Amino acid sequence: MEDKILLEISGLVKRFGSETVLNGIDLSVHKGEVVVVLGPSGCGKSTLLRCMNGLEPPTDGTVLLDGKAVTADGKKITELRQKIGMVFQSYDLFPHKSIMDNITLAPIKVQKRPKREVEQDAQRLLKRVGLWEKRKAYPRELSGGQKQRAAIIRALCMNPELMLFDEVTAALDPEMVKEVLDVILELAESGMTMVIVTHEMQFARAVADRIIFLDNGKIVENSKPDEFFTNPKSQRAKDFLKTFSFEKRKNS
Amino acid sequence: MKLKNLFIKLITLTVASLLLITGIAGCGNAKTGSSGTASYRTIDEIKQSGKIVIGVFSDKAPFGYVDENGKYQGYDIYFAERIAKDLGVEVEYVSTDPASRVEYVATGKVDIILANFTVTEERAKQVDFALPYMKVMLGVVSPDNALITDVEQLNAKNLIVVKGTTAETYFEKNYPDVSLQKYDEYADAYNALLDGRGDAFSTDNTEVLAWALSNTGFTVGIDALGNADTIAPAVQKGNTTLLDWLNDEIEALGEENFFHADYAATLDSVYGKAANPDNLVVEGGKVE
Amino acid sequence: MQGSGISVLFMGKNLLRLLGGLWVTLRISLIAVLLSIPLGLLFGMLMTLKSPVSRIVSRVYLEFIRIMPQLVLLFIAYFGVTRAFGWNLSGDTSAIIVFTLWGTAEMGDLVRSALISIPKHQYDSAMALGMSRVQTFGYVVVPQTMRRLIPLTINLTTRMIKTTSLVVLIGMTEVLKVGKQIIDANRFDYPTAALWVYGVIFLLYFLACFPISMLARKLEKRWR
Repeated sequence: MEDKILLEISGLVKRFGSETVLNGIDLSVHKGEVVVVLGPSGCGKSTLLRCMNGLEPPTDGTVLLDGKAVTADGKKITELRQKIGMVFQSYDLFPHKSIMDNITLAPIKVQKRPKREVEQDAQRLLKRVGLWEKRKAYPRELSGGQKQRAAIIRALCMNPELMLFDEVTAALDPEMVKEVLDVILELAESGMTMVIVTHEMQFARAVADRIIFLDNGKIVENSKPDEFFTNPKSQRAKDFLKTFSFEKRKNS
Repeated sequence: MKLKNLFIKLITLTVASLLLITGIAGCGNAKTGSSGTASYRTIDEIKQSGKIVIGVFSDKAPFGYVDENGKYQGYDIYFAERIAKDLGVEVEYVSTDPASRVEYVATGKVDIILANFTVTEERAKQVDFALPYMKVMLGVVSPDNALITDVEQLNAKNLIVVKGTTAETYFEKNYPDVSLQKYDEYADAYNALLDGRGDAFSTDNTEVLAWALSNTGFTVGIDALGNADTIAPAVQKGNTTLLDWLNDEIEALGEENFFHADYAATLDSVYGKAANPDNLVVEGGKVE
Repeated sequence: MQGSGISVLFMGKNLLRLLGGLWVTLRISLIAVLLSIPLGLLFGMLMTLKSPVSRIVSRVYLEFIRIMPQLVLLFIAYFGVTRAFGWNLSGDTSAIIVFTLWGTAEMGDLVRSALISIPKHQYDSAMALGMSRVQTFGYVVVPQTMRRLIPLTINLTTRMIKTTSLVVLIGMTEVLKVGKQIIDANRFDYPTAALWVYGVIFLLYFLACFPISMLARKLEKRWR
């Protein structure tokens, strides 16, 4: 992790109609840092992530990437988004394109990079996650875990500076969760800056440099993972963690 | 009636504005008339254009039909050809259906309707009839094994009629207990009779007589029902120049017994001895 | 003198006349479909816009065209327009206008349903990859929409071909009318002609629609 701040959010407010989803978020993510966002469902985690790459325009406040506002409209935002990779909960591969085409489409058409170079990158990435054999397959021929790995690679092939993961394992069968999380862990080790929304507590603890606990649209805690999991400061976080430990005891 | 017209105008306006929105109006070969209403062509305009447009039947042998070479033939056509010849113009036939005959002439899509058009009071309000050239009564044809010989037998039975014909209005007015099965076209009506969907079929006696002659197993049990109706050419309301010309023409043709010749050329081979030409043909527009 | 009905088909120009009648139907249907596809695409996009004005206008248009029987629309275009405004449209023009209006409405609704059936995540992930609106539509949404639309469009085309037989009521001699003329002209001598004539018409319709369905199947397979 470096000292340089890559993403800076200040005073972020997001309202849908009369409902306030985010209520004054201040957060900075340093280059090379892995931030995991936790919180009960409906606390605004996904919305926060979507505000980070401008999929949701903020009601108030600013989001800066490398000092440039993500909230700007038009051409600027598409340029900024190329630096921010995002993977979603549901499989969002393009069903009408093969895995290879899914990965190379945006680098070739949006970034206008040479096809050969892009395909070499794609090949390297596909081999890294063990999907090279599936390059000609279509998304519907892949398992959920394979699809999510392909989606991660698709985002990576744009050479982003920041990766956003929005509950990427939430829709997966349990036995496929690990193969996806392993890829993200590996990414963390390689020094990628990431913001991750997840419900996998063990994974969060393993991957995170910092834990953000969100409740009712506000950051309630912002601490080191060990500190958060062993000694949460707020009652909210304690209650939240209890639900997991209770489940754990029952399962074991 | 007023309200109906307003309704039609409103709908038409909507459709027309939709046309403009979608921008198709431009590519149609629309011909804008000078006035707001459909206009007729006077006798001089017809002569000048070198062509008369006549609405006829194309599937009602032997009065108006199309032969295997695609040429119009029949009793009405024989007359239409003569009209064109005496006017010194070409003739263009437009194939019409019973239900839309009035509309064709009222909108000026045809100059004359010559499609076995029976003169009725109701129709005379919408078109101007010339002198008659034929007369008919209604006939009822039914299968031999369930022959209908009296109208009373039709009660609670299914009687086939073609929409817009005299038979339809006659039965609706005089025999409301008869349940009517209505078809748009003659061919459909006959098929319905042939495959037993209806118990009997009623239309002009000439028509059913001719049909029964060539369809074994079917007989015209009632051959003269209702008042003797006359058949005449019709022109658009107010087209007096064309109407006067037609009346003069029909009177003049009576001198040479033209319609008997027409009968001999087109109907005789069909009716043979089943009908007497004097009972069908009207010469010089005079009905005895 | 009652002969076998089949000979009716080979008398004079009868076969040619039937083919000519089929052409009347096909020509109107195909022109209407070709006009309906681009107009329907536009109309479908208009229907998915959030603006209440475009929504209401397109909804009213669609419902109007749906509720009115095509026959009524034909009569309005052919007779009604002449009565009300004195514009004398030919049968051909009236038919093409009516079937294009109808096709545009139907096609638009198909386009609309195809567009909204593309999940929101497809838009999100395309935009998250840095695609502009135009690129998102061009590379992601439209290709998927097209795939969904092809079988529906073919379906509409064959429906169009069958529905255009209504043009007979505005004086156009299409294949069914020619068939009826042939049956009628021969009803005294060949009462059984109807079966043969309708058989041939059935075959003609089949020959016209079958290649279209085949093409659709081929396209669908290739794009699967």
